[in-house]
Amino acid sequence: MRNMKRRDFIKKASLATGAALTMPYLLPTGRLFAQSGRQMAEHVVLVMFAGGVRQQEAVLQRYLADSQELPIEGNIMYNMLTGAPPDLKIVYGPTSPGGQPGGQPISSILQTPLDQQGTLFPEVRFSKAGTGHFVGLSTGVTGYYGVTQGLRQRPLHPTVFEYVRRFGNAKASDVWFIGNGIGNSTPLLNHSEYPGFGSRYGANFFAPNITFGGRGLDFLKGFKVYHPDEELIPIREMQGFLNNGFNLAGREIPHLFNTEEEKFDIKEFIRTTFERLENNQVAFPPVTDNGDLSTLGYTTEILRWFKPKLTVINMSAVDSCHGSYTSYLKALHRADHGVAHIWNYIQNNIPEMANNTIMMVMPEHGRNLNPNPITDENDWFAFDHDSDANSRRIFTMMVGPNVPSNLKVGSESNPVGDAADTAMTIADILGIKQEVQDAGLMDFGAMSLFDRI
Amino acid sequence: MQIFNRHTFAALALTLAVLMPACKENTYVYGLEDITVQPVDLSGKKAKTPEQYIAILYANLYQKAMSPNQLVRATETITSIGDKQVAYETVISKFMNDPNIILPSIESMRQDPEAFITETYKRFFVRVPTEAEKTYMINYINSHPEVTAEHVYYAFAISNEYYFY
Repeated sequence: MRNMKRRDFIKKASLATGAALTMPYLLPTGRLFAQSGRQMAEHVVLVMFAGGVRQQEAVLQRYLADSQELPIEGNIMYNMLTGAPPDLKIVYGPTSPGGQPGGQPISSILQTPLDQQGTLFPEVRFSKAGTGHFVGLSTGVTGYYGVTQGLRQRPLHPTVFEYVRRFGNAKASDVWFIGNGIGNSTPLLNHSEYPGFGSRYGANFFAPNITFGGRGLDFLKGFKVYHPDEELIPIREMQGFLNNGFNLAGREIPHLFNTEEEKFDIKEFIRTTFERLENNQVAFPPVTDNGDLSTLGYTTEILRWFKPKLTVINMSAVDSCHGSYTSYLKALHRADHGVAHIWNYIQNNIPEMANNTIMMVMPEHGRNLNPNPITDENDWFAFDHDSDANSRRIFTMMVGPNVPSNLKVGSESNPVGDAADTAMTIADILGIKQEVQDAGLMDFGAMSLFDRI
Repeated sequence: MQIFNRHTFAALALTLAVLMPACKENTYVYGLEDITVQPVDLSGKKAKTPEQYIAILYANLYQKAMSPNQLVRATETITSIGDKQVAYETVISKFMNDPNIILPSIESMRQDPEAFITETYKRFFVRVPTEAEKTYMINYINSHPEVTAEHVYYAFAISNEYYFY
């Protein structure tokens, strides 16, 4: 029913609105032929494991040993990393009724940790620019260190979304950026304003905790669905007439060049997601008690519906480490849980993406070696990220088809990889590396991680 | 008689000599300069911020101001969706489903479409329609019996002109 209506609507809408609504972008900047490189997978999911993660509590599995001067080590990311969890001072799990706060760690989702399923670059560098969230995220999605990048400013260079749409001939609804919220200029990361790129090639964006949260309930849920023939056609015809003068002047309500069919589909997705929420059908992770995990739950809906070529998800809960180390450990444990849930869901619930998706996981930057003076309920010190050497240490993980399994590339004494590599690696996976390299707009040192193996 | 004739002839000749140049027909050449014809003056138009858009939209549809708290929440909802055309269209159609919205009845629209169109242009675009605009919209309403005031309002609210001020 949904598809029939959509096709019918598009056919008639196209005839009705004619030139007034014709997408004015048959431009030479777009390619009309297949990408030159071989695709390693048809889908990429990049999880920006963001908020600032210390290597010590992540790949080094030091738990409290390198932060609180307590000799307790262990792995609290056991879906992603191989290693035994800590056996003392467990604070990072949910709290069972009457139990010790955080004393019940979340059960592992994956039988085989992702580092064994794929390739881990345990010592990657965020080599330039300050270790701020927005510049870190923009480096991740552009492959370019925006040293002068400011907040409230779109990325200075094209994003990987724009490369995939322009060089990979992807539709707008083929590329998605899922934000954990709308603060810190997060919604600006879905495209740059670089000449020849920009919104024409931008990614669709949702901050699903808002879109489908209380605010969405107030202003979106139950929106009127106009009949495609009897109502939308005349509405579009009148809109087309009213728009004539403005379209000539190139002035429009900002948009991402979704086709009429894609716009209709996105609205259908919004409507359906509210229905699925009401019926408890949204596949949230088994434990969903923070914003990152609900974001990842909504992401499974986006993956299931659109099956995008490229999906980038932003998390941030670990940034609570500015004021609470305990809260940071909890968020880190949950981020691992969420990543495993996404991977598990793709493999078991989306046949078109199973065994055809490469997932990458990378923090946008690290955190300081030394703490700040703030202590939490456990008298543990908090950590900031001030661009010290430790905050430039991150890791990157890849898993999926054509990714070597159980491989570790680099070490503490031999760092391999750079934060700017991620976007180039995505281009490599999707077969557009040569075109991206020819564009010359990524960091001069950016390489595909496959070329670093 | 001869003298009279001579004087008369002289006067006539003088008169003709004075008036003849005035009667000379001038040749005028008319031309057209190429100009871009647009229905509205776009110079100096600025895009509304999401806050402005929602606040004005709400006032246009509900005939009252939105509360500051609701305005913040509505703006955040818009911000949470990347394609603003999708975002605005969805929020507007949510408003359209609200029984508290103030819309002209179909009967009043069809009884006097000219007044309805003029009023709608003033409400949404803060200007009167041109004759061409008025003619098109009246003809459209008259030739499409299924069109309601809500459809017209929706088309105006999602038009690009409404987004600029």
